[in-house]
This record gives sequence, C-alpha cells and structure tokens, in this order.
Amino acid sequence: MNNVIEINNLVAKYDTRIILDNISLEIKRNEIFIILGSSGGGKTTLLKHIIGLIKPVSGTINIFDQEVTRMESDKFDQILTQVGMLFQGGALINSMKVWENVAIPLEQHTKLPQNIIIDLVKQKLSLVHLEHAFHLYPSELSGGMKKRVALARAIAMDPKILFFDEPSAGLDPITALELDELILELKDKLGITLVIVTHELESIKRIADRIIYLQKGKKLFTGTLAEAKAADIDEINRFFSWK
Amino acid sequence: MYKINENTIRIGNSFYIDEIQPLITDLLKLDKDHSKVSFDLSGTVNYDNAVLAFINSLTKENYHILLSDKMKDDILKFNSSIMFNESEKQLLSGFEKIVSVFYSFLEQIRSFIILSADVFYYSIRSVFNKNGRRKGSVYEQILLIGNNAVPIVFLLAFLIGFILSLQSAAQLRQFGANIYLVDLIVISMITEMGPMITAIIVAGRSGSAIAAEISTMQITEELDALKVIALNPLKYVVSPKMIAMTVSLPVLTIMANLVGIFGGFIIAVIYLNLSPIVFFNRAVSVMTISFWWQSVLKSILFSWLIVLIGSHFGFNVKGGAEGVGKATTASVVAAIFAVIITDALLSIVFYFDF
Repeated sequence: MNNVIEINNLVAKYDTRIILDNISLEIKRNEIFIILGSSGGGKTTLLKHIIGLIKPVSGTINIFDQEVTRMESDKFDQILTQVGMLFQGGALINSMKVWENVAIPLEQHTKLPQNIIIDLVKQKLSLVHLEHAFHLYPSELSGGMKKRVALARAIAMDPKILFFDEPSAGLDPITALELDELILELKDKLGITLVIVTHELESIKRIADRIIYLQKGKKLFTGTLAEAKAADIDEINRFFSWK
Repeated sequence: MYKINENTIRIGNSFYIDEIQPLITDLLKLDKDHSKVSFDLSGTVNYDNAVLAFINSLTKENYHILLSDKMKDDILKFNSSIMFNESEKQLLSGFEKIVSVFYSFLEQIRSFIILSADVFYYSIRSVFNKNGRRKGSVYEQILLIGNNAVPIVFLLAFLIGFILSLQSAAQLRQFGANIYLVDLIVISMITEMGPMITAIIVAGRSGSAIAAEISTMQITEELDALKVIALNPLKYVVSPKMIAMTVSLPVLTIMANLVGIFGGFIIAVIYLNLSPIVFFNRAVSVMTISFWWQSVLKSILFSWLIVLIGSHFGFNVKGGAEGVGKATTASVVAAIFAVIITDALLSIVFYFDF
C-alpha cells in the first residue's frame, strides 16, 4: 500500500461540542502533508487523534494498514516506536540533560550498549546543529534550540512518520528556514513521511506536497497547493492571500 | 471640559475618560429630577470610548441629551457592539450546585481508584522488569525522598520525643511513676508519633514535589511526549517514586522512632534521674515486635497515600502556572489529611487486635 495513514469518518467531540466532523483523508508514503485551518478548527485535535493521545468518538484510523483506534496499548506502542512527534513547546523532560532527552527512546526501546546510544545521540544532535548543547539542560536553551533538540529526540529511532505541531511558531525567519531545510532533508534522505500542523505561509509554500484545510472541524479541501489554488475556495484564497 | 449652568451641563470641545468621574460627582450634587437636567454635547468633537459608554448609560436614565449627528452614530455603533450575551454558563441553583460538587467529588474518587490500581500494577511490574523506566531513577528518587529528608526528620523527631517526655515527666513525677515514662515514650513514638510525623514531613517535602513535577510535565506536554515515545508515564515517572517512597518512608520512620526515644532518654536521665541502664532495659522489654510491625505497616501505607495523592493531583491539573500551585497545595493538604485519618483508623484496629 502506498498510504501510511488512512482516516475514515473520524468524529471527535469535546463534551457536546463537535471538534472534528466526519474527517476522511489518506497520507501517502514519503510526502509532506500539511494540516491547515483557522484557529479552533481542530488541527491539533486531529494530530492528537492520529498519534493516539485522544480516542475518537467514532471513525477509524489506520497506520501502516493497521486499525489503531481500538488497538491494545502494547501493540500500539509497537507502532509508536516507528513514529516521532515534535510538540509545540518541544516538551523536553526538564529534569534531564539534552543528550539524556534524545537518548530516552533509544534506552527504552533498544538493548543497545551505552556507547552506541551516545554515538547515535551525537549523530542526531549534529544533524540539528546542536553539538554544543550535549551537556546542557533544556532550561538553558532558547525556544528554537529546544525545538531542534525535540526534533533530534523525535528522529532518534529513525521513524517512518514524523508529526510536527507548529514547528516554526515563535521562531525567527532564519531559524524557521533552516528548520524547513531540515524537514526537506529528512524527507529526501531518510524517506520519512511528515505530517505538519502550521500556519506559516512561507513555510507551507516551501515544503508542502499536499494539504488539508479544516474549517470548524469540517474538511474544506485536500490536495496539492496548485489544486487548492485552482479550486478557488473563498476561505482558502483568503488564507493564502491569493485574491 | 464641561460647565454646569443650573440645569444644563455643557460639555466642551474635548471630553475624555479622566473627566467622567468629576462630572458624576457634580451630577450627584445637583440632586434633581433627571428629566429636568439636560446635557449639551452638540459641540463635542473629541472624545473616547469611555465617554461613549458614559453617555450611553445616561440615555437610559431619562436625561435630556443633545448630541451631534456624529456622536449619535458612534453611540449607536457602541451600543450594537455590546449587544451580546456575556454569560457563558447557566448559573446553577443551590441544589444543583450541591449535587454537582458531590458528583465531581465522586468523579475524583473514581479516577483516584483507577490511578491507584494502575500505579500498583506498573510499580509491581517495574520492580521485576526494568523496561520502561530510566536506569538509576529509583536510586535517584531514594536519595531525594529518603536521604535528603534525614536531617529534618531527625531534628523534628528528636524535638517531638523530647517535648512529649518533658510534658509527661512533670506529671508522672508527681506520682513517683518515673519509670513509666519509658513505656509512654517508646509506645507513643513507635506506634503513633514516629510514623505520623515522618509521613507529614515527607508529604510536605516529597508529596508536594511529586504533584508539582507531574503537573508541570502535564502542562508542558512532557507526559504526552513520553506517550508518543511509547513510554507509559505511570511506569516512567510514577513507578520509580512509588518504589523509592515504599523503601524510604519505613526506613525514615524507624530512624525517627529511635531518635524520638533518644529525646525521651535525655529527659529521663537528666530530669527524672533515671539511670541509662534502667531506661535501656525497660525500653527493650516494652518494645515488642508487634509495635515495630505496626510502625512499619503504617509507614508503608502512608508512603503509598503520599505518592498516589501527589500524582492524582498532578495528572488532573487544570490551567497553567496557577494550576500547578493549586495542585501542589491541594495534594499536600489531602495527603496530610489522608495520613491522619488512616493513622486514626489503623490505631483503632491495632488497639483492639494486638
């Protein structure tokens, strides 16, 4: 199968308020898929459903052709080890040093000897250009550095899918550009599928293969940017300032 | 700028927010029927939103108001912009309030029981299987919870033993029952004061730390990050604390018992002139093994209560930094409350059984 993620008729509710209304979509192997929409549109909720942090009210989610919404947690953990996620604030464990943070997945899910783990951690840190932060604590890093460490942790296990919750929010344009270059590199060199929630127009234009546009929990559009432009939908035109 | 001329209040060219309060004061001084007072704002060109709000409120009170067309427009716009219902939730009646408080209490109990079951399950599993928790984390926690609490536990246990003996000694002396001070201090320290004082100190030190740490991790999405790395937060974060607490608190309690008795020993020797040998012999004959069991059993239960209550409030944190503060406070209060209640219940059970 060419689809790594398939979502069918997903419905999410918070109390009685509907957050996601009958969302269906598929994400293909080795593409950069962007989740867009106005704030409160359900972007982060959709992401949290895919990685299993929230269980849906109804609908199914398939990852690597396996239905995950009703999967046992041990089995789902197997899938999660092939998945990485970068949280908005980085979500680094503040009581642990940078290298220990990056080492968490390696230490917990592999039986590799310590020296190999440290070598892998070094490799990931140099990939995000943070060699000098090895022995620092997260509180000693800037916001952008934290995100890069979090990215290093997310790719520590060489995942097949990588999720981003607003990677460039709060970053300066240059750091955001570097992050985008890193994302493209991950896609091309490692063949990773990337699912990204973002509003940064520049970033979307640089990296997006396909997008989904959510409005008030409903799917307004899925497809490539060119298709979005051709579709000529008011809301999306306004979002990209196309007219 | 405004001028009051008998019943007419003439507002000048400019009128701003800081002149409203003086005008209201003057208006009260006029003390006349509203319909007889008139405002002339026809010449007012410069004003701010506060003035609009003020004039808008005047229109509802029967005043005679003369406005320029522009201002009329502005007030209409202002009025339409505030025409929405700001109350977000329906207010509950008294009875509904009581029911909802009771319901949320039951909900808390329910989630506490589920959490406890999970924590026990994962802690027992992680004693035998180190997968899913960090290397050295138990040792680290024992240092934090146990080792670092030794000085304060020693000091307080000593003082409690000392004061308890001092107060009792004065009474016992009157009856020449000096020797019974030994019984009193040994039994009360080992079965009551030792476990309880230690648990209260540790609840304040480490229970609050557990609640603060977990609630912060919850707010900063660290717990979600762990879940996505396929790590169970209960196993990774809570189980080391649970194991460390279960080991540390009984050890601290035993130390506290001995130090408290030593406090009594000093009073007995200096104030009651008991000989050290007599004190020692009496103490050994009084402390049966069952008292020590009671002490250890109590402290183990307390240790579980402290960790479970700390993590319960940590996981259920709402809001930001303020929420962390509330969770921490609530966890300490609840933990000390639970410790004392449990102590009372256990004391009754042991008193009739042993």
